[in-house]
Amino acid sequence: MQVFLQLSVLMTRACHALQDKFQIEIMKTFFKTIGNLFRKPVTIPFPAVATYKPDDYRGLIVFDESLCIWCRRCETVCPPGAIVFSQNITDGKQTYHYSPYVCIYCQECVRTCPKQGCLTQSSEPGHPATKEKDVNNVWNKLFTDSLESRVAYAAEKKKQQAAAKANPPS
Amino acid sequence: MLEPLHFKFTTENEKIVKTEANVGYVHRGIEQACCSKFKFRQVSFVVGRVCGLCSISHTTCYSQVAEKLVKLDIPKRAKYLRMLVIELDRIHSHLLCLSHVAENSGFEALFMQTMRYREFSMELLEAVCGNRIQYDFSIVGGVSRDLRSDVAQSIIEKFKVFRPQLDELVEIYNSNWSLSLKNKGIGVLSRENAIRLNVVGPFARASGLEVDVRNETEDVLPWKEVGFEMITDTAGDVHARNMVRLREIYVSMKIIENIINGLPEGDLLVDTKAFPEGEAVNRIEAPRGELFYYAKGNKTQVLERLKIKAPTFSNIPAMVETFTNNEYASVPAIIGSYDPCLSCTSR
Repeated sequence: MQVFLQLSVLMTRACHALQDKFQIEIMKTFFKTIGNLFRKPVTIPFPAVATYKPDDYRGLIVFDESLCIWCRRCETVCPPGAIVFSQNITDGKQTYHYSPYVCIYCQECVRTCPKQGCLTQSSEPGHPATKEKDVNNVWNKLFTDSLESRVAYAAEKKKQQAAAKANPPS
Repeated sequence: MLEPLHFKFTTENEKIVKTEANVGYVHRGIEQACCSKFKFRQVSFVVGRVCGLCSISHTTCYSQVAEKLVKLDIPKRAKYLRMLVIELDRIHSHLLCLSHVAENSGFEALFMQTMRYREFSMELLEAVCGNRIQYDFSIVGGVSRDLRSDVAQSIIEKFKVFRPQLDELVEIYNSNWSLSLKNKGIGVLSRENAIRLNVVGPFARASGLEVDVRNETEDVLPWKEVGFEMITDTAGDVHARNMVRLREIYVSMKIIENIINGLPEGDLLVDTKAFPEGEAVNRIEAPRGELFYYAKGNKTQVLERLKIKAPTFSNIPAMVETFTNNEYASVPAIIGSYDPCLSCTSR
């Protein structure tokens, strides 16, 4: 009888202890939740504070015209076709066109450029197109026009050469 | 979960008796574009756009198949860097999937917590590759960027912070009572069915099927050299899939640490003037399972044929099968646990 009584007392104490432990856990969670109300959020207040950006971020392509040898290799390798060269029909001068909205910042043009430093990649991120002139249709027209201008120049040059051959300057 | 996938259920009261799957809403004609508009060196950037989550798996798999076509052997350092980025990508993809399972099970707070812990892997990928989503890291002949020593150091340091956070996540996913009601014993796929329905990836490994391309191929990337371990579970339910993904993150972290500690010196890129010729296949373990590429060249700049088989495509029959005899209310959690990527599958 005595043993049973002692056992029951022990059991009750153990139960109370367990209950207390649970209560402590619950109270801990409760205070943590209350505390969370006054803690600063883990998210970044974005426009006010800049987000993480590595210093060698793949950004917009920068072109240095003084170094260019006009080999047009960057135009050939560019996967989306964001680089194109147009040619003036009278003097044959080429102009570099680049669309930051078509570019995928893959660095392929920089890798293939034979002239060191002519094409470089900056760490400035590209911006979304907001005006109508930025979107693809205008660029596509410029692209085809540029290709046509080169064909026209080649044809013009051929014609001039043929004319020069036919009437050699005396 | 935003996936263009349509499941049509037939139910008896709350119990699903029949499922029909309907896919193909996001067909973009990428395979045709790769064989007509783009040269074979540019295709690695196009196939990177097949999927936002496993971009690096697609680019690496294509680069390898193109290297087989032009018979190019790439430097060892490039192989190691490819494996590094694939494993970093696996960490972020698995954490995303886990967070979706938590959200679809109705545990919004765990979703937030998992996404919060996932952010470090995105920052590391940005630091390594220079971009957050489209890495463009593997190109035909090697890799496009080197791993800077300070970035390597920051990977090791961020892993030290992340490991206790991952332990915390394992504790919650493993023993949270509310989550277990929606996860344990739900959406069970038996080992026999997994074999019969040809399941791949963590979905198969949770059913006790030991399939992992990293364990099977040694010719292109030396996975066993950097400490790959097979992770399997036996239960085959949603909870087992969660556990497989969580334990795979530990393995990925170990692989990345091994790669950084034993990174061989050498070139990043080798060039060749050869044009693709003949046929080649290549397999790689994407976060969702086996990714398969077939390519055929005809000695010109443009490929003749490119075929992509994404892991989710293999898993669709098993997805349909697994819903049967589950309650309709469990469907979101089950779909989350499949980790489907339909933009990969439809292309």
